[in-house]
Parts: sequence; structure tokens; C-alpha cells
Amino acid sequence: MQTLRNIGRLTVKELRALRRDKVMLALMVYVFTAAIWLVANAVTTEVRDLSVAVVDEDRSPLSHRLTDAIQPPLFDPPVLLSPTQAAEAQSQGAYVLVVSIPPDFERDLRAGRTASLMILVDATAVAQAGNGAAFLSRLLNEEIAAYMAPGESAAAPVDVVFRARFNPNLQASWFTAVMQLMNNVTILTLILAGSSMIREREHGTIEHVLVMPVRPYEVVVSKILATGAVIIAASALSLVFVVQGLIGVPVTGSLWLYLLGAGIYVIAVASIGLLLASFTSNMGQFGLLVIPVIIVMFLLSGGMTPLESMPDWLRTMMRIISPSPHFVAFAQAVLYRGSGLHLVAGSLVAMALMAAVALTVVLARFRKVLAG
Amino acid sequence: MGFVAELNGVSHRYGRVAALQEVTLKVPAGCMAGLIGPDGVGKSTLLALLAGVRRLQEGSVSTLGEDIGKGAARRRLAPQLAYMPQGLGRNLYPTLSVRENLHFFGRLFGQRAAERAARIDMLLEATGLAPFYDRPAGKLSGGMKQKLSLCSALIHDPDLLVLDEPTTGVDPLSRRQFWELIDRIRDHLPGMSVVVATAYMEEAERFHWLAAMNEGRVIAEGSPKELRSRTGAETLETAFIRLLPHGEKQEPVYLPPRAETQDLTPAIEAEGLTKRFGDFTAVDNVSFTIAEGEIFGFLGSNGCGKTTTMKMLTGLLEPSEGETRLFGAHLASSDIKARLEIGYMSQGFSLYSELTVLQNLRLHAALYGIAASRREARVREVLEEFELAEVGEMLPAGLPLGIRQRLQLAVAVIHQPRILILDEPTSGVDPIARDDFWRKLIRLSREDGVTIFISTHFMNEAERCDRISLMHAGRVLEVGAPSDIVARRQVASLEEAFIDCLEEEGGEEDAQEGAPVYDAESRPRSPRNQRLTRLWAYCWRESLELMRDPIRLFFALVGPPLLLLTMGYGITFDVERLSFAVNDQDRTPESRGLIAEFVEIPQFQELVSWSTRERLDERMGRGELTLALEIPEGYGRALRRGDVPEASLWIDGAMPFRAETARAYALGVLQAYAARYAAEHGQGAAPLVEVETRFRFNQAFKSANAMVPSTIMLILMVIPAIMSAVSVVREKETGTIANFRATPVRQSEFLIGKQLPYVAIAWFSFWVLFAIGRWLFDVPFMGSLSALAAVSLLYVVASTGFGQLVSSFTATQVAAVFATAIISIIPTVNFSGLIVPVSSMSEAGRIIGLAFPGAWFQPVSVGTFVKGFGWPEVSAQALAIAGFCLAYLVAGSLALRKQER
Repeated sequence: MQTLRNIGRLTVKELRALRRDKVMLALMVYVFTAAIWLVANAVTTEVRDLSVAVVDEDRSPLSHRLTDAIQPPLFDPPVLLSPTQAAEAQSQGAYVLVVSIPPDFERDLRAGRTASLMILVDATAVAQAGNGAAFLSRLLNEEIAAYMAPGESAAAPVDVVFRARFNPNLQASWFTAVMQLMNNVTILTLILAGSSMIREREHGTIEHVLVMPVRPYEVVVSKILATGAVIIAASALSLVFVVQGLIGVPVTGSLWLYLLGAGIYVIAVASIGLLLASFTSNMGQFGLLVIPVIIVMFLLSGGMTPLESMPDWLRTMMRIISPSPHFVAFAQAVLYRGSGLHLVAGSLVAMALMAAVALTVVLARFRKVLAG
Repeated sequence: MGFVAELNGVSHRYGRVAALQEVTLKVPAGCMAGLIGPDGVGKSTLLALLAGVRRLQEGSVSTLGEDIGKGAARRRLAPQLAYMPQGLGRNLYPTLSVRENLHFFGRLFGQRAAERAARIDMLLEATGLAPFYDRPAGKLSGGMKQKLSLCSALIHDPDLLVLDEPTTGVDPLSRRQFWELIDRIRDHLPGMSVVVATAYMEEAERFHWLAAMNEGRVIAEGSPKELRSRTGAETLETAFIRLLPHGEKQEPVYLPPRAETQDLTPAIEAEGLTKRFGDFTAVDNVSFTIAEGEIFGFLGSNGCGKTTTMKMLTGLLEPSEGETRLFGAHLASSDIKARLEIGYMSQGFSLYSELTVLQNLRLHAALYGIAASRREARVREVLEEFELAEVGEMLPAGLPLGIRQRLQLAVAVIHQPRILILDEPTSGVDPIARDDFWRKLIRLSREDGVTIFISTHFMNEAERCDRISLMHAGRVLEVGAPSDIVARRQVASLEEAFIDCLEEEGGEEDAQEGAPVYDAESRPRSPRNQRLTRLWAYCWRESLELMRDPIRLFFALVGPPLLLLTMGYGITFDVERLSFAVNDQDRTPESRGLIAEFVEIPQFQELVSWSTRERLDERMGRGELTLALEIPEGYGRALRRGDVPEASLWIDGAMPFRAETARAYALGVLQAYAARYAAEHGQGAAPLVEVETRFRFNQAFKSANAMVPSTIMLILMVIPAIMSAVSVVREKETGTIANFRATPVRQSEFLIGKQLPYVAIAWFSFWVLFAIGRWLFDVPFMGSLSALAAVSLLYVVASTGFGQLVSSFTATQVAAVFATAIISIIPTVNFSGLIVPVSSMSEAGRIIGLAFPGAWFQPVSVGTFVKGFGWPEVSAQALAIAGFCLAYLVAGSLALRKQER
């Protein structure tokens, strides 16, 4: 009973301390609002405004029509260049795609001869070049077909209807907004939990707590509770007002289920934050240590690129050492696909196990941690 | 000349707090001049202004005849001046040995090797530090640290020596040796003036001239004798108290004798307490017995083991050997009940500065388990008792030191403990507040019977205790009533008794009696050589420090490869192994033909087929399926009839990039299917147009071929920038920046010197990253290695320069780390071509990108790797990056201030 009361009081104390920490609050507000909006709108893997050059050696009505067909939003209006200029400019990175129309292209086609058109792709722009080339190729094909046989539909034997589930228009911002929110949960939980511990050590306040009839685990639990409560509340607000409201991502799943999963995840990550703090003696060292951890947890979580694209050993290792892949899988399932509890139980159990292990290690190290 | 420094109408403010108010003072030359007063009265500010390390706000200061407000005058003055900042060894580098520290200071004054060596030998001999030549400064005792600081200040024969509280916290023997050393040096250099600030009034007796300060003003000046006779006081301490406003009414502290108690269980018994940290014994076999209600003083210098002993008594630390009994009961560190008996006040302020006074009191009352019904009453009672009622709603940070100490004591007694353990509770507090504090302690002891265990390094406080123990280097040398100890040792004062004890112990170092003799003539050197020597001083020292700091070294060396590995694997745009399943309701050769097309391409991985829409929802919901094909019944029939049958393809759109790519693959499959079907069934002619897609620079279209060179660009920006930013801010945090401010070093020498080691490490990292990219990720390298290596060297000079620029406006290491990370990561990730090609960006994005070196280096890195770039293709970028190097250095030099604000 006394234990619960102590945890409650210490948690309130943590919350009060946080309220006075203007820098941390400003950072939280920024990270959960502006940062998400910026990232959702800035970096995009969608094909948009790709720079295109056209080498037109045909100079026929068809080649003009093809050039005119290359238009925003997918492509920048193309620039006409000579073959050597184009090769030069593309290697300087000025154009991602170069369309090369050979001489006599239209005449060959009209004469019933096979004519070929070339799209040169700067394959170092891996995020956009592949899909961009595919789109451009389809666009040119359709345009030629329409020009050569107006009014006739392209003869396809099968009509395949594409249906993208969960994100019908495949908007990248839907994905990046939610994933950025998940990443920010990870980053802030690590920093908040770790710094609350280091601040107490730096100021010597932790000694004061420990000479009182307070058990070490009460301190640890109160820190995790306070950090968790703040982060979960902030992330839920951000989900509703920024992600859904401002960016307009439709969140289909249950908010309560998300909160449950986020709660378990935050316990695991806050314990990791406290553990990292226990290896360092001041905030500067903590900063140096936490940055690589954040980057690993965030890039290899599946929130940036699919886990399937990683080597097997790495995928397995990340699933064992880091709770973030499970959280990302959980969040994608719940928030995009509207999955229910039974579908995400596996991720929840995995996160809970990691939380238990991390918490145990932190408690075991705690005395040592405090003695500094 | 009569005066070494003249201040005229000098005022100084920190924010809203006034540190100095209208000070006009003439400090006599050629003697020992002292500033006395408690903490926070403006002594340090005055000394810093006088030495030119702090920027003058109002008034004028002239030092050694130069107007310190002028930059040129400060530069002329720097070689004649030595400034030792406050704090034990605060201007020393703890991981550097004694010798390395001194070489560093010698280089700062541009001395050549032979001259330096001669001076260092002489100084080490004179101070008795010679035997500890190779010991890291951080592992010296307090007294030795102060001597080393002094050596570093004397290495260039200054005309003016400015010492800010040089002996605070040092044991009395070391203190006496320190002053004797100064006297000997003064005998030898009679022209040298010394200006000292001190909180020890006993010490001030030695000085020739004193200025007493209070609340930013000089309240009296003159020789010690004059001050005493003016106030009619016997000691300087009393004289000072009488000089304070309201000071005349102060009564001396009176300790009523303790009522004899008999046959009571002692309150605290320590038996053979020993604490080892590794092979260092902090506390060695300490035993004592303290009766209930006694005030027991624990006297010793900083680092002698007082705090460690106290932590063992409170149960914070587990002793390595020995045991503690409180009221006869063994104390275990997990003992919750025993903690109710103890009130503890740690050294320095350690309450929550984010909570108000009341909130602090209430929190502690609650955590001590005071019943809710009594809690508020007790808090009120304590507020009254310790005169805190007026400040209840305030945050402790804004309160004067004396009130904060009262608050700490209030917190320590809130649960009415029977034992109080107080660790240097009065250090830095002004004498009136200190006397006040003692009266409260005496009342607790005499009226409430509380046992008080108090540590101090002030002799006059020790004299107020019932009994004291003298501690040194982890051992207790003497225990007894102060007067008994003095009598037993047959000396005049407690201080002398302590010194006697220490001498009996043999001291830890013996200063030679001889005066320092300089053999080496300091021959003038060309300014250019001096500049190079100073630059080298910082470069050499930074390298040594870095080599000895495991966490920074780890970050610098392991960070980049670790990042390349995670990013190389983590940011990949290869879409492979797309899970795919079919629901074939038709089951005809035609439907199987369509499925075969899908299964054929390696990117699709076929899983068990699905049966109902519910199953599909479930499997897609779990993220198990990316693509699902449904072929309705009648598909084959329709196709044979020549109709266009319909089929459906579901794609998991949760990850748009993957979905987009999956759709592009599926489109390709369908095109191939259509072509084959047409050919087989003779419908229509073969397509006339071939649109051929050719991938340049990366035929296999492998993500790593582009991402790895771009990631190298990102890593070589972020990590070197963070490292170099931390290196400058660290000096601000630890206080060693004072060496930059008080010596002739220039901004550019400081910055370049500190930058070089990080450039070397970052360039080394470049080669490691190159090797990982080339052989682990198997990225082909087709361009000129010499061009890439050279431009990357320029690039890391730019990124470290950027870090130094950031460091000029950050004050803490945390801020430096996060500010550098955020400022450098955002443009580098978003606008430097890492994901979105620069050519496809909006105008604004492109401009932001090109304002950072990353966007210039990215084409060089990618170009030399996969596009076969050589020198001609990269020269424009190389030039631009060189421009960044120069711009950052110039901006950094301008932003880095020689003076503190």
C-alpha cells in the first residue's frame, strides 16, 4: 500500500518537474506537431516532379506529342537536349529520366516497322527512378497507341482491377506521418526517461530520495509511469489532431487498442532509456550514446523500409533485441488496417516480454546506477 | 607604480541579478591583495573582470596600466597575466598527467621545448610535485591539484597572479604549504603582484591589503590590522561580521554544555568501516562511537573520505568491510525502518529545483510516511521554525544560498529524526547565516536530543562541536573534544593541531625549501612560431584527451560504421519477396496461365491461397499478404469467347512505396501476359513499339549502390560535427575554457588546433566507410579514388567546422549534441539528394540543400562510386566545399568570444 502511494507521489513529482522543464516541453510540442507535419510533407518516395530531358532526333508530330505528354505532377516539364548534352547532364545528376526518340521514329511506325524508344534512367535515384520509369513507359505507350489508332482501345485480353487496401491512392504522407509519430514516441521516450535519471544524479536529488523509506523500484517505476503517461497522452493527441486532423490520414483502428500497445511499448523503451542512462555519468555522454541507439531502433524497425528487404539475420536480430519492429508492425496493423486484438496479440506479447526483461535488468542495475 | 589594478564605477549584472554595483577600487601593486567575503558577493566577477576574461559591462578597469576594455590592450596584457579560476583544479585537464598539463600551458605561451622542460622541472621541484610527474591530474589530491594549478599559472613568470579561492576545500597543511610556496615565489619575483579571493578569514590574515565585499559592494578596505582595529574585533571573522549591515548586533554562537548521559546505547557506532572503489580505498578502517544528543564534527579536506563515510552511515553505500549500528541495531542498506531515524543533508543543494519550497516539503513529508492528517500541520510547523513561510511558493533556484540551506535542513528534520547527518551544510554561506544555522543545530541537539553528525572544513565550525574527528586520506587521525585535542597536541589552535596530525602522518608531499630558480632564458621567438606552438598545444592536448575518453572515442570510431550498417540495411528501396496469394475460383487452364505469369517473376513469393474475403481481410490485416489475386468463376470461358474477363488484384497500401512498386511489377506481368496471349492466339500483330528502359550507373538497380555513397555523405556530416561541437562545449562546461580566455591564444588557433584531431578521425572513418561500402555492400567503384579521398577530406574539415560553429552558441554538451544533430540532419537528409534527387526538388528545397556542404558532397560520393567521376567532374564541388570550410572557420572565430559575458 505504502509502495503504491510512494509510486504515486513520485510520479506526480516527475510530472511537476517535467512541467517546469521548458526546453523539454518545447521539444515535445515541436516533435509531436511541426516535425510530423514537416516530415509527412517533405521527404517523399512518391514519384513527383521528376526531372526529365528529351532527346528528340525525330522532330515529328508524334515526337512533339510525346514530349508534350510528359507533364506535372509526376514529371517536370521536359527539357530538349542534344544526345551528348543529355548524357553529360544526366551524369551530373540534372535529370533523373532521359527519353531518347530516334530519327525516323514516326515514319518507321507508320510504315509498320518496329521502332524502339529508349528511356535512360539515372539509377542512383533509387527511390523514384524505378517507378518513375515504369510510369513514363506506360504513359508513352498509351500516347503512341492513342496517336496511331485514335478511338481504339488498347487490346488487353484481361481487365485487372487494382484495389489498394487501406490507402486507395497510395499517398506516401499517410505512411510517413504515422511512422514518424511512432519514431518520435521512441526517440522522446528514450530521451525523457534517460534524462530524468541523469538529472537526478547530476543534481544529487536521487540520494535524497534514497535515504528516505523509499525502495529503488518505486523510483524506477515512477519514472517509467510519468514518462509513459506523458508520451502516450502526447502521441494520442498528435494522432487525433495532427495526423488525422491536419494531415488528413484516416485512422481506421481502435484508439484504445493503440493506447494499450503504446503503453506496453513505452514501458519497454523507457526501461531501455534508464538502462542507457545507467552506463553514463552526464547528459553529454548520454547524448552520444543515445543517438546511435535511436538511429538503429528507428531505421531498422520497418517503419522506414519493409523488414522483408533486410537480410534474414538482421531481421531476426532486430526482432529479438529491439521492441521497435514489433511496435511498428502493431501500429501499422491497428492504425491502417483496423486490425483487432486477436490479430496483433503476437506483437503485444513480444513487446511485453521485452518490457519485462528490460525492466528486470534496470532494477538489478539500479543500486549501482545510483551510487554512480 | 602604485596600483596593479584600478576599477572605476564598475557594475555587472547576470540577467536581473546584480553581481557588482558601482565598485571603485584601487588594488595596490607588488603585494598580496585579498578579497574577502562569502559566496555570491561578487569576488569572482571582480577578479574575472580584472583579468580580462569577462566582458566589462559598465565602468572602467585598468590592469597593469592597460585599459582592459580594449581588445588590443588585452592581447598585450595576456603574456604578463596568470589567472587561476575558482574550483579545485578547474583549469586542469583531469586525464592528462601532471607533466602533460604543464607542457600544454607552456605551449600556450609559445615557449620552446627546452625552455618548457627547464621551467617545468624547476616548478615541480619547488612544489614537491616531482614524484607525481606521470599521475593524471584528476587523480591528485585537492592540495596537489591546487599546486599544479599554481605551477601552470607561474609557467610564464607573470607580473600579476590572479587567484580565485585557490585553497577552498583543501586540508590545512596543504593550505599552509600553498601560501608558503607563494611567499617563496614572491621573494624571488619581487615585482609580482598577487590578487586573491578567499572565504577563509584565517587565511586573509597573511595578506598585505584586504577589500571586504558584501552584496556586490566593497564595504571596507585596508590592511588586516586596520580592519580589526577599526571594528575593535579580535579576529577578522568578527571584524567582517561587524562590518556587515546589522552585523553589530550579532551575538557569538554559544554552545551550552551537554547534560551528562549515562548507560545509554550510543546513537551511532561505526566499527572498522572500509570502502574500496576498485583498488582505491576511499575510507580505511574508520571507527567511532557517538552518544545520543551529541554534536559530532567530521573535519577534513575535500576528497578525504568524509562524504563516503556519511553515505555508509545513511545506508546509501554498502561498506566493503565493517558495520554501522544505529541505537544498537545493525544497519543494512535496504533497511527501510532505520531510514525513519535519519535525516540527511547532502553536500551542495540537492532538493528538487523544479518544485516549490512547499512542494518539496510536502513530498518529503509524504515519502517519510507522515500520516496525511498530520502532514500539513507538520509542514506548517517546519515552515515557521525555519522561517520559510514567505518563500513557500517560490522555486528554490531563485533563493539566496542561506535560505536554501535552511530549506534543506527543514527537509532533513521534517520527520523528526533522532539522527541528523549533514555533509558540509554551511560551505559558501555568509558568516551571519552560518551562525544562524548553527544556533538551529544547537537547539535541535540540546532541546530535542537529536544526534548531529556534521562534516566541515572550517576550523571555527569544528570548535563548536562537542567532539570532532580529524580525517585525512580515508583515515581518522584523531578523535576527541576540540579543546582536548589542542591540549594533547600542545598547540595554540585546532588548525595547528590538525597540521600537527598531518605532519605526523608524513604528509603526502614535501615541498622543497629552496626557492625556484629559472635557468632557461626565455628567448624571444618569431610570432609565427609562437602561433604554431599555440595551435599545436590545443591539437596535441585534444588528441590525448580524446584517446583517454572511451565514450567519445567509441562514438567517433564505432559510430560511423555502425550507422552505415544500419542505414545500408535499413534504408533500402529494393522491393523483394512480396508475399502473394491467389483465390482461383475458375480453375481452368486460362486462369492457371495467368497465375503462372505471376509466380514466375522472382519478386513475388507465393503463399497458400486464400478462400474467402474474410480470410483475405484477416491475412492482410496481419500484414502477412502484400498482393492478392482473385480470378472469378467463368474467367476461362469468357476469355475463350473473346470477351474481356475481369480479375481483381488487392494490394496492401499500408506502405505506399512497396504498394506502388508491387503495382508496377503486376503491370509488367500483365503486359507480358497480354503479349504472350496475343502471340499464342494470333490476335493482332506484335506490338510495334518497344519502349526500352535502360538503367544507367546502376544496371542491377540495386538500392545499396546509390544509398551507400549517399549515406557516407550523411554520416561524415553528422558524427564529425557532433564530436567537434562537444569538444568546444566541454571546455565551457568543465571550466577549462578559462585557459583560452586568460592566455594569448587566438580564436583561430584554438579552433583549428581542436579541429585537427577530429578531422583526422573523421577521415579515418571515411576509409572505414569506404571499405564497408566497397566490399560488404559490394558497391562498384569506378571513379578516381584520389579525387574522392581529397574531397572527403575537405568535406570533413567542413563538417567539423560546422560543429565548432554550433558550439559557439550552445552552452551545454547536451544542447551541443542535439542542436548539431538536428541542425545538420534535417537539411542533409531532406535536401541533399539522399532520397529525393536534388534535381526534382522545389526551388526552396534546392536552395536549403545547397546552403549545406552535404548537397555538394553527395554528387561527388555517388559520382566517384558508380558514375566513374574523376577530378574534372568533381572540381566545382571541391571548390564549393573548400568555401564552406573557410566560411565556417571565419564565422566560428567571430562567434567564439575571448571574454565571458
